[in-house]
Amino acid sequence: MVIYLDERIGTGIYGLDRLLGGGFRKNAINIINGGIGVGKTTFGLQYALYGLNRGEKCVFVSFEMTEKQIVSDCKQLGFNEIENHINEGNLKIIHIYAEDLMFPSLDFMDLVKESLSTDEHHRIIIDPFTHYSMFLNDEKRKSLSSIFQNLREIGTAVITLEESNLLEANNGSVMPLYLADTVLHLHYLGFGEFFDRTIRVVKHRGSKHGEGLYPYKIESGLGIVVMASEHDIEKLTPTNQFDKQFKLAIERSKHVDKIGKSLAKRIELLRNSWSHKESPEYILEMILDSEKR
Amino acid sequence: MLIKKLEDTLDDLYETDGIEACILYRIDGIPIAVRTSKDSSILNIMFWLEKQISHVLRNMNKEVLTATTFDFKNNQVIITPSSRSTVLVTIIDPEAHQQLISIEITRAKSLINECVS
Repeated sequence: MVIYLDERIGTGIYGLDRLLGGGFRKNAINIINGGIGVGKTTFGLQYALYGLNRGEKCVFVSFEMTEKQIVSDCKQLGFNEIENHINEGNLKIIHIYAEDLMFPSLDFMDLVKESLSTDEHHRIIIDPFTHYSMFLNDEKRKSLSSIFQNLREIGTAVITLEESNLLEANNGSVMPLYLADTVLHLHYLGFGEFFDRTIRVVKHRGSKHGEGLYPYKIESGLGIVVMASEHDIEKLTPTNQFDKQFKLAIERSKHVDKIGKSLAKRIELLRNSWSHKESPEYILEMILDSEKR
Repeated sequence: MLIKKLEDTLDDLYETDGIEACILYRIDGIPIAVRTSKDSSILNIMFWLEKQISHVLRNMNKEVLTATTFDFKNNQVIITPSSRSTVLVTIIDPEAHQQLISIEITRAKSLINECVS
């Protein structure tokens, strides 16, 4: 059994949660980065629907599509229940042109906060953030950071972004991806083969995650389906095969001056997440040796 | 499942005597699946490969080549396109049975093509 140490939010993407240590971390900013046609909006819709179908509240901010277009896209994918969620007030769709909003300012946050029906945790989707993320200087970047902080306080956000930003992340004029807690990169090659559409976890702060390149498909009725192999999953699944070595190291760590207690806790954490096939003996020996100095 | 068949194909190829690593790359140089030991010389070749794959493939395509071999001090690297979007790279011991390895690579290439096309 896999044990997740912190609260996770299901992404709603079939096969993805297993690669993210159980899903997105709660109250985190998650950026979905990719070129045109990779399925960024589909990702956002799936994320919303997964929560809505489980009684969660959701706000979808669209800088491109109207509510009518979003509903129509959902129906194309087979997500017909979307209309019920809108009618019941569980899903709020905000359609606005980025050019009409002063940026950076907290106008954007006011807009989101006004649409919240309760104080409970919300799923927030912003699709796409591309226009907003352009023309960022240091001062504006600071404001973006504060917007992200505000979003974290009200829920768990999925923000989609055009691919070029990944490549130019450090040139000072685009979205600094380091502000996000998780960055997923979707890629579409266009050869009609199995690895045409791939997903990669670029960053997943404070969590173990899949480090490979995983193929995915966009299927009618399902949306995005990620297909990691058993071998990939095995690499992420903690094993208790080396419990004996860990127990011994925990006992020994308790005798390390001053930091003994915290070191034991850290080794316990390592034990709970150890998924490697090789024995941890070498690493444990090295840790104990270094900490004793 | 296709992905399982793909993994098994690489596992089988990696078990061949004299093969030190086999890596399936996407044509833009991003590794899809890797079978290798943690030998630092192999890792160095892998770093080199990531930067070279797309360039080598472009030239192979231009010259209509089916395989390209690079000889390093202790290893030989064989690059063979396995489908329109993937390329199979095999790192071998230069003293290994070349003919046997060549047959195994051809077999693996064909299976990979079946899986991904």
